[in-house]
Amino acid sequence: MDFETLSADLRGLQERALKEIAAAADPDALEQLQIQYLGKKGDLTAVLRGIGALPAEDRPRVGAIANEVSEAVKGALASRGTELRAIVQAQRLLAEKVDVTLPGRSIARGTLHPIPETIAAIAEVFGQFGFVIYEGPEVENDLTNFQMLNIAPDHPARDLWDTLYVDIPGHLLRTHTSPGQIRVMQSTKPPIRALLPGRCFRYEAVDASHGFEFFQVEGLMVDEGTSMADLQGLLDEFAHALFGPRKTRFRPGYYPFTEPSVAFDVECVVCGGVGCPACSKTGWMTILGAGMVHPVVLQYGGIDPERYQGFAFGMGVERISNLRHSVPDLRYYLENDLRFLEQFR
Amino acid sequence: MRVPLNWLREYVDVQLSPEELAERLTLLGMEVQAIEHWGADWRSVVVGELLTVEKHPFADRLHLTSVNIGSGEPLHIVCGANNIAPGQRVPVALPGAVLPGDRRIERTEKMGIASEGMLCSGDELHITSDAEGILILPAATPLGQQLSDLYGDVVLDVDVKPNRGDALCLLGLAREVAAATGAALRWPEIIVKETGDPVSDHLRVDVRVPELCSRFVGRWIGGVKIGPSPDAIQMRLRAAGMRPVSNVVDASNYVMLELGKPTHAFNGAAVTDGTIIVRMAERGERLETLDHVERELMPDTLIIADSKGPIGIAGVMGGAASEIGDDTTAIAVESAIFDPVSIRRTGHRYALRSEASLRFEKGQEFRLARIGADRVAQLTQAWAGGTIARGRVDTASVEPEPARLAFRPARVSKLLGGAIPTADQRDLLRRVGIETELAPAGTRIQVAVEPKPLVVDPGSEEVLVAVMPTWRRDLAIEADVTEEVARIRGYEMTPAHLPDTLMPAYRHSPLRVRDAVREIMAGAGISEVVTHALVSPADEAALAWPDDESGPPPDGASVTDGASIGQPITVTNPLSVQHSVLRRHLIGSLLNVLALNERQGRESVAIFEIGQGYGRVGDAPREWNRLAFLLAGSAAQPGWNQAARAYDIDDAKGLVELLCRLLRLPAPVYTADETGLPLHPGRALTVVAQTERETLSGRVAELHPDTIARWDVRAGSVVVAELAIKGLAGGNLPNVRVQPTPRFPEVDRDLAVIVENARPAAHIEASIRGHAGELLRRVTLFDVYRGAPLAASEKSLAYRLVFGARDRTLTEVEIDGAMAQVRSGVEVDLGAHIRT
Ligand SMILES: [Zn+2]
Repeated sequence: MDFETLSADLRGLQERALKEIAAAADPDALEQLQIQYLGKKGDLTAVLRGIGALPAEDRPRVGAIANEVSEAVKGALASRGTELRAIVQAQRLLAEKVDVTLPGRSIARGTLHPIPETIAAIAEVFGQFGFVIYEGPEVENDLTNFQMLNIAPDHPARDLWDTLYVDIPGHLLRTHTSPGQIRVMQSTKPPIRALLPGRCFRYEAVDASHGFEFFQVEGLMVDEGTSMADLQGLLDEFAHALFGPRKTRFRPGYYPFTEPSVAFDVECVVCGGVGCPACSKTGWMTILGAGMVHPVVLQYGGIDPERYQGFAFGMGVERISNLRHSVPDLRYYLENDLRFLEQFR
Repeated sequence: MRVPLNWLREYVDVQLSPEELAERLTLLGMEVQAIEHWGADWRSVVVGELLTVEKHPFADRLHLTSVNIGSGEPLHIVCGANNIAPGQRVPVALPGAVLPGDRRIERTEKMGIASEGMLCSGDELHITSDAEGILILPAATPLGQQLSDLYGDVVLDVDVKPNRGDALCLLGLAREVAAATGAALRWPEIIVKETGDPVSDHLRVDVRVPELCSRFVGRWIGGVKIGPSPDAIQMRLRAAGMRPVSNVVDASNYVMLELGKPTHAFNGAAVTDGTIIVRMAERGERLETLDHVERELMPDTLIIADSKGPIGIAGVMGGAASEIGDDTTAIAVESAIFDPVSIRRTGHRYALRSEASLRFEKGQEFRLARIGADRVAQLTQAWAGGTIARGRVDTASVEPEPARLAFRPARVSKLLGGAIPTADQRDLLRRVGIETELAPAGTRIQVAVEPKPLVVDPGSEEVLVAVMPTWRRDLAIEADVTEEVARIRGYEMTPAHLPDTLMPAYRHSPLRVRDAVREIMAGAGISEVVTHALVSPADEAALAWPDDESGPPPDGASVTDGASIGQPITVTNPLSVQHSVLRRHLIGSLLNVLALNERQGRESVAIFEIGQGYGRVGDAPREWNRLAFLLAGSAAQPGWNQAARAYDIDDAKGLVELLCRLLRLPAPVYTADETGLPLHPGRALTVVAQTERETLSGRVAELHPDTIARWDVRAGSVVVAELAIKGLAGGNLPNVRVQPTPRFPEVDRDLAVIVENARPAAHIEASIRGHAGELLRRVTLFDVYRGAPLAASEKSLAYRLVFGARDRTLTEVEIDGAMAQVRSGVEVDLGAHIRT
């Protein structure tokens, strides 16, 4: 074995290897070639076995050539490997193609009922003006529901509240959230800004605009100088927040527990004030009743009416919701047909 | 209150259009709820003159007439009435006309003779009550005119508030119109021609309970002739919503609508000895009232009587025996002031509330007793003839002076929130008849009357005295004067601004936890419902739980361990039995919702409600908030890319576990509840998750098939839960407390425990936790296996235990030691063996 022969064998091996690597069809074949040429029992090792028969001075020269060959084969293996992986990946991606226009997997999400949602919307507006939430009992006593609100047992105004009575002496199902005014005043001192949401009951036949169970939100503000102008300013903000910019008005109303009493109207949300069946052609819709807290009520609440004054308001939650969501019938709310509820997504 | 504008114009000039007038009244607090065009339903009804009236050749009761309607050929009309004669002017419904009640008139043939329209009775036009004869119009009525142009009117429907009884009449509303427009008010001219004997010859009045009848004015009219009132009067009453009866009764009703003064006319011959007694009923007395109902009178009823017994229920309804009849010739007029409360109670007691009693209930101006009696006498004589006896019987002829009320103009301004000059306030008040004068020194202010009178010294503030009109019984305190100023001035004049006063102290919203739970539930795919609190007693009872009526109150929010919610509260006057008790549990309401939605074709229903429960212990009512949910049908919306899966009890427990995590509670502890009805005895459990301050507790179950059947639900299985959660009634979520993230690796080991089938998994987990020591961080069940090689009576539960320490990496020895403890502990505790 001489130097020339050995180096020619090495060059031949390189040429053969590079040709076969270029022709390798897949990563497995490439791996086989790596073992065949560079493995411990591979062709390169076999050729180099002849190195021991060379003169000592030729050995480094052969070693250098063997390194070149090895590097060239490794380089070819690597680049062909990269090419083949790219081809395989492209094939896989092609095979993985799906119809992306198919709908997604549905994720169940429940809906929230418009009554608590409307209460939350009302509370959010007044919350910005410092009103905090209280709740009172629904099984209320006659004293708090009526008498302390300036409605004596034989007051003609009792006809305004048809009452459901219960089998507990002196108790009834509260006809409005107004008794909460008394409870708040008795439990806290001015300055008071309170909001009282809750369920109310009346002896009332059910139709599209009446029910024997319904929800109200009561508001109460008491301080030394709280005035009708404050009431009007706050309610304007409220109406604008819920119904967008539109005209509002106060007109005289009547409640035994406020003096003066007013009704608060907003420009009809259906016709914008022109007049339509929804607003009885008046162009206005009443959204709540309000007034300055009657001195009788302040006194029952333990508050000196000579020093303090305040306002109260009360609104029907369903009414507000009807106007915001165009709900045509009050019965929808407690019926809970999911075809109605699921529209509130 | 129905207000025909033509009638209203008798008392005040109205230049405004009906719509403008309605708006002005509404802004004055007299809300106009509807504007009705009276007579709008007479279409193509015109005035005609009868030219000829002849007998129908083939029918005795019919007439052939020819009628001139002012233009064209005379019409030939067949008519069945007997009160017609040539020369009369009558209403003619032309072919194509429409009468009230949508009655259409066409050309017809009656007994072989063509009829080109119809002559109308007052009843057919709904303007008088005469159905027998044709309505005969005044001779000067213009021919060919549309009847609606002549007799049509605009009627305002005014909602008079309960405190304004004085405005429950035309004159009262005319006063308001005058205040709104500045026009002058015209009182009707009341002149009584007293030409008879002294009234004392005919009528005596004995008021035995003056505290309930503060004034009784009586008049006597002899020689009257009963008949219908003039057509114009009948039309007026009709337009105002009152049925004409007879001239005498109509006079009384007319005065009630005109002046707001209810009066009563008795048949004079039926008042024994001419003596009227006002007294309380005696036990056992009976009276047939005008509606021909025989009533047993109760002893607290104020009645009108004569010496023989009751002849009327005071202020509410007269008696049939003294009713005005066709043969009545003398009448006794009662014009009294009764106690409002007594009248109101009586009206309720007998379920008899009339236009009269409604007015008495609201209180009456004292002098109206006199004026009303005079007006009734005047109109009765005008419409029914007769002779008015001289003088009145009057039990309290001294009429009180107008009340005077001191007020501070500065306080009026302060309450309204804007300065209104004193002079302006005085002008505004004058427009509703309230005169003001400067207060004498030392005048004090009535701030409140009830519950304790509050009279204050005004100090140096300016004080005026308002002289209240006698008809305004609603003005008693300073705030009442403020309202008059504000409403006459108009609220558009009040400034609006945001409050600049102190803010109240912070307070947690009681809705906070509730809203958090609502969000959790909705996020988990469950929809919120809000249902009736009033339910049927049978439904309520069907869902009672055995521990409802024993143990402590529910305030601690525990629904297990014998927590009591007491007995149900029952409504004593329910609208229907379906809604007559307050629910203690929410599940029944959810079942109703399920049933309703199944009827709409819905297969899957997943709903929750956070609602109030109600109960009583003795006479103490209690209320609490609970979360309930119901799952029926398919858990996942089946689709092309996911399979349907029925809801089961694990979904419910998963929700409970989710709630516990998000409400910062420990993992819930489950205990089997084998009570049975209303729940599935093998698929019901109580659940408790408790920390020192927070709790969640309740029941989760599949419903018993009998319960499902009772609600007529189609779903094969229904999973429900009702949970008490502390904080639902108010409070806050606790803050998250963070543990340092572990710096040393955790190590996990698996453990398969073989136990008998009946052994609850909760026992195994509890035992593992009990023996693993403090290095144990988590235990998770990851498999339950039954089958070979296990015995049929056995099951294997596989747990992954995760160990870790805060300060070091655990050694194999430590973990092996802990696992050995667990293995031996579980074997000892449960008789289990460990699969290896
Ligand atoms: Zn409108």
